[in-house]
Amino acid sequence: MNGIITPLYAFFVEKLPYVTIFVFLIGTALRLNRWLSAPKDPHGGRLDLVAGLKYIILDVVFFRKTFKTDKMTWLTLFLFHVGAGGILFGHMRGFKLWTAEMFSPLGPWLAEFMVHTLPVYIGWMFIATQVILLIRRGVLERQQLQSLPNDYVALLLLLITTILGQGMRIFPPEAIPTETYSVVFIPRLIVLHLEKVPSFHWFFLHILFTQLFVMYIPFSKLVHIVSGVITPAFYGSRRKEYDL
Amino acid sequence: MTSRDRDEAKEALRKFTRRQLMELDTCAHCALCTEKCPTYAESQVPNYAPGVRSSKTVRLYNKQFDLRARLLGSRPITEEDVADLADSAFNCTLCGRCMETCPFGFQTHELWVRVREVIRDLGGTPSKVLMLEEMLEESQNPYGLEPDMRLDWADYTDLEEIPEKDQADIAYFVGCTTAFKGANHEVAFAIASILNKLKENWTLLGEDEWCCGSPLLLAGDEHGVKKFAEHNVEALKSRGVKTVITGCAGCFRVFKWEYPKLLGYKPDFEVVHAVEFLRDKLASGELNPDPAKERVGYHDPCELARLGGVIDAPREALKYLASDYVELPESGMDVRCCGGGGLLQAVNNDLRMAIVNRRLGQARELGVEILTSGCPSCKLAFADGVRESDIEIEVLDVMELAARQLGLL
Repeated sequence: MNGIITPLYAFFVEKLPYVTIFVFLIGTALRLNRWLSAPKDPHGGRLDLVAGLKYIILDVVFFRKTFKTDKMTWLTLFLFHVGAGGILFGHMRGFKLWTAEMFSPLGPWLAEFMVHTLPVYIGWMFIATQVILLIRRGVLERQQLQSLPNDYVALLLLLITTILGQGMRIFPPEAIPTETYSVVFIPRLIVLHLEKVPSFHWFFLHILFTQLFVMYIPFSKLVHIVSGVITPAFYGSRRKEYDL
Repeated sequence: MTSRDRDEAKEALRKFTRRQLMELDTCAHCALCTEKCPTYAESQVPNYAPGVRSSKTVRLYNKQFDLRARLLGSRPITEEDVADLADSAFNCTLCGRCMETCPFGFQTHELWVRVREVIRDLGGTPSKVLMLEEMLEESQNPYGLEPDMRLDWADYTDLEEIPEKDQADIAYFVGCTTAFKGANHEVAFAIASILNKLKENWTLLGEDEWCCGSPLLLAGDEHGVKKFAEHNVEALKSRGVKTVITGCAGCFRVFKWEYPKLLGYKPDFEVVHAVEFLRDKLASGELNPDPAKERVGYHDPCELARLGGVIDAPREALKYLASDYVELPESGMDVRCCGGGGLLQAVNNDLRMAIVNRRLGQARELGVEILTSGCPSCKLAFADGVRESDIEIEVLDVMELAARQLGLL
């Protein structure tokens, strides 16, 4: 990679991950402190594991309530989250949490589709759903909702990151790959193994925005990745308590 | 804002529990609840939308507790901030429908009550709501009427047996809106007549009955309601009551779900809504009504259904009471509020009437001739709506319909 990447790009890979992890951990600690410093519910708020799990599956996995309320928004949200999950899963291969051989039993064509073609479609779908959600927010703003700045920042960061990631796939690489190569973010801890050398500008900007996004998670509504699972569990427990 | 004001603001905002703060921080302001919210749907006022309320509450909280406040000092909470949030929080029927729409399952009923509590501590409670609290303090009912008028309904309706016993198995807790509002007197008469017909060993509490405390809870005065809970529970315990029957959805919810929380223990008596009692007696064959021929619809009171857990019982009872029962749209857990809850009448009666007219319109489209409910506030709202819009729908409580079909009314 010598001679191709700028010192700034080197910073994104070699130094920024430490900053990212630090900010993420500090942010998470601050968020937890904010929640834990609030008083416990004096009246209990008992958690029923079975009922909680039921509503986590219904409401978090399938978006039951959104389906009942607004079918178009349900479709958008569902595809958005499928896209997020698919892309997260795809990235795990780069970190060797799974390998392409996993799909070999499906036959060469389907395996190729699953590993190389489908991710591109998922990327487009993910971008499209984010744009729809952004437009929806804009249209409803001041009429039905009043967003906080972080509602927009989180979505914009994610959109930019995803567009950059998709750009990596569709723009040709600057160098012809000879073999799989690795990007070492944190030695022995976070190492990305790439099958192809990507389009570098897109790649390094993608890395930058991914890290900005990760840093922003604890300070934004993206905390719902965790809390959005906890609150339906309490909701389900309430329904069980009230025999509903 | 003085440092004392800041301390008081901090103290008030600290009332949000961990779960509630998590809910406020998680709310994505997706607006999925907005169209379902009865006050927003009828007014189109953005400030009444639950998500906007959530945004404003977080902004207020963050003025005192976000990272910037911690590093650079808290920002002042102005009177305008509080008034704006109060405008949002009190233009809400506390029907809890947003809870049923929220993708994250936030327990919004509790959350909005807490917001009202915080507003109260910040001095933003609307004056009419404060007046209500004063009347409760003075006369133990939200209408400011003399306690000895609690049994006037029995005189007006010519109820022959008016038991006020020292010991009884069942107590009929009438509730203020039934006891003091003329439109509901026949509900009390119907329940009392059915108890008499069944020869139950039952009693009224008479002047010893205080408001259940629901209006105080809705006003955000959780502390004040404890006195009412203690009094009522003591009055019932001293009579050896095993079952408390009430025809009021608000009283039912507070007795069944709030008293144990407020008192820290579950009182040693069963709490039953009158429609549950009626359903059991109809199912057991102890009561044999002649079903009504008219088309009957049932409106779920929010406090009985979504917030109280009683959805099937009234429908099962109505199978015996009506030969032509129709299910209203938006019912059960997803019931559209009638507008009668959350003290909205005290704050914005025009909005209440707009909400009730929407619901009446739904009943009219189905050709409903008798619209039933299980809540005196719903009955009042529907009666007001029928009167205002000149709709030909008879508004009855399920218990009134039962008494009528049993030949008691």
